[in-house]
Amino acid sequence: MPQEIAISDLKGTRLGVPAADRTSAPSPTGAQRAARKRARFARGLAAPGMVISVFVLVVPLLVALAMSFTTWSPTRGSLLDAGFEGLFNYEELLVYDTRFVEAVARTLTLSVICLSLELAIGLGLAVIFLREFKGKSVLFSTLLTPMMVMPVVVGYTFWMLFQSNGPINQISMILFGTAPEWFRSAFFAWIVVIVTEVWHWTPLFFLIMLSGLNSLPENPIRAAVILGASPRQVFWRVVLPMLKPVIIVALVIRAMEIVKLFDEVFILTRGGPSTSTETISLYIYKLAFQDFQLAYGAAAAFLVLIGTLLMVHFLLAPVRDQLLGEPR
Amino acid sequence: MNTRPLTPLLALILLVALVVTLFPIFWIVMTALKPPTDWNAAPAIWIPSEPTLINFLTLFDPEAIGAFGVGGISESATAAVFGSILTSTCATLISVGIGFFAAIGLSRYTRVNRFTPLFILSGRMFPPAAIAVPFVIIFSAIQLIDTYVGLIAIYVAITLPFATWMLKSFVDEVPREVEEAAMIDGQSRLMAHLTVTAPLIKGGLFATTLFIFILNWSEFLFALVLSYSNIETIPIRLAKYVTATAGTLFGVQAALAVLAMAPLIVAGFLIQKHLARGMTFGAVKR
Repeated sequence: MPQEIAISDLKGTRLGVPAADRTSAPSPTGAQRAARKRARFARGLAAPGMVISVFVLVVPLLVALAMSFTTWSPTRGSLLDAGFEGLFNYEELLVYDTRFVEAVARTLTLSVICLSLELAIGLGLAVIFLREFKGKSVLFSTLLTPMMVMPVVVGYTFWMLFQSNGPINQISMILFGTAPEWFRSAFFAWIVVIVTEVWHWTPLFFLIMLSGLNSLPENPIRAAVILGASPRQVFWRVVLPMLKPVIIVALVIRAMEIVKLFDEVFILTRGGPSTSTETISLYIYKLAFQDFQLAYGAAAAFLVLIGTLLMVHFLLAPVRDQLLGEPR
Repeated sequence: MNTRPLTPLLALILLVALVVTLFPIFWIVMTALKPPTDWNAAPAIWIPSEPTLINFLTLFDPEAIGAFGVGGISESATAAVFGSILTSTCATLISVGIGFFAAIGLSRYTRVNRFTPLFILSGRMFPPAAIAVPFVIIFSAIQLIDTYVGLIAIYVAITLPFATWMLKSFVDEVPREVEEAAMIDGQSRLMAHLTVTAPLIKGGLFATTLFIFILNWSEFLFALVLSYSNIETIPIRLAKYVTATAGTLFGVQAALAVLAMAPLIVAGFLIQKHLARGMTFGAVKR
């Protein structure tokens, strides 16, 4: 990690300048010049990325933020002429829009269900993979396949599988003598969405958990075994606590993705039947691009952004140092 | 840790996991190989009686399926395949190129404070459905809507954080003394990074490129709202097939789905060692 560099840039002292600069800068003024040159070079490196981020992320975000305080829509002339309406949209959303509140609640429920299943299955498989067996590396590669398939194709594939003439219903008829119309009932449509998500992203948990398990220090585990802990105790009392940072990182990343969940649901159910599988992203999409309530949609998006930021900030708190790559 | 052999129960669990993982992929590949009579048969046909490539041909020549007495698809997928290859390739190369310099900057010249990751991540937290709204307005104003240039610009922007952080984690592993030695030998900073750092993270650059390609190739929402008639990508075409034909042309849809996922599965296998790193912004290394 970069350590003393930033401070030395500010002070321009000879002491903090790295070896390469010291040799080429014999006098204090030379050192200052080298430090300034170095800072200019650093800015040059960051410039293209900064420019792109500003023009393609910051500017649109500011436009969206400004828009969220108006009631503008494309049929009402220029955005520049739209009047300032204060927090009108935000009040509408939080107080009166049950569809929004329901979509948020639904997305949160979906996160909790999917993430628990994905974590449990992924961690379980990873623990099995600590053992030695034949064909391990081939099986490892194969189990990772789903996460590489693009979301639209995953959605389409499961849409096929759950067709009334599809293989799932065929198996269900043989086993139970009956088969549901998956996309006609809210309950079954939900199950399809959950199954799809879990199939698609459990491999990511499996991968991250296995990486985590393999890079755990061995000594605490050996110590626990020597002190007479059972394998179960070793897992729950020693391994799991040490794995916590990795688990949190995985959960945060996946939670962020589920908030944005759109592609699969768009292909599978379009939020239906009625609005029973409408996620927050799908609702915002429908607001903006089907009903053309752009300003209202932007306000909804900002509420979601604020919520996600807070969630991620607090979830990451215990592992922030590790994310930054600094020694713990 | 302990290296014990598998018990029969664990082996059974692994077998179930394998079957569950592969079944959807098996089904979509089989469907792509089915002749029209098998598409929606009841009971469902698992293995096509007479495997055929007609569905793949139909993607590029909409009339081909006529030989089976079935009405063709309305539009071919040629434009979509071209569009996907063009946008994904350009956006990936630009993103990794810019990301490389940003990664050097972050790894070597910048103090990363506690809010930096959050700031970088916040770009990924905003629901794309909403960030797409201002994009549509701005791009309409500057005539970039429905163009490949516009789509590529957005893809670069949304994949840049991934490229930067993944590459940073590779640069962090290169000892800075190697670069400093080159600088003492009289190379400029820029040349030192290009001729010393870059070759040392060759594998990392390759993995990052494929990873960013997977992200770009899979993107759906921005392509959906920023394309009208001039541009198209594979995910958009697939969604259009599914809506337009109300699910009757299973075989052709499945053929496009197979075409869409094949390159990703290959790319994924090539970089599986680095997938965890890419997905976690470099937080998980191995």
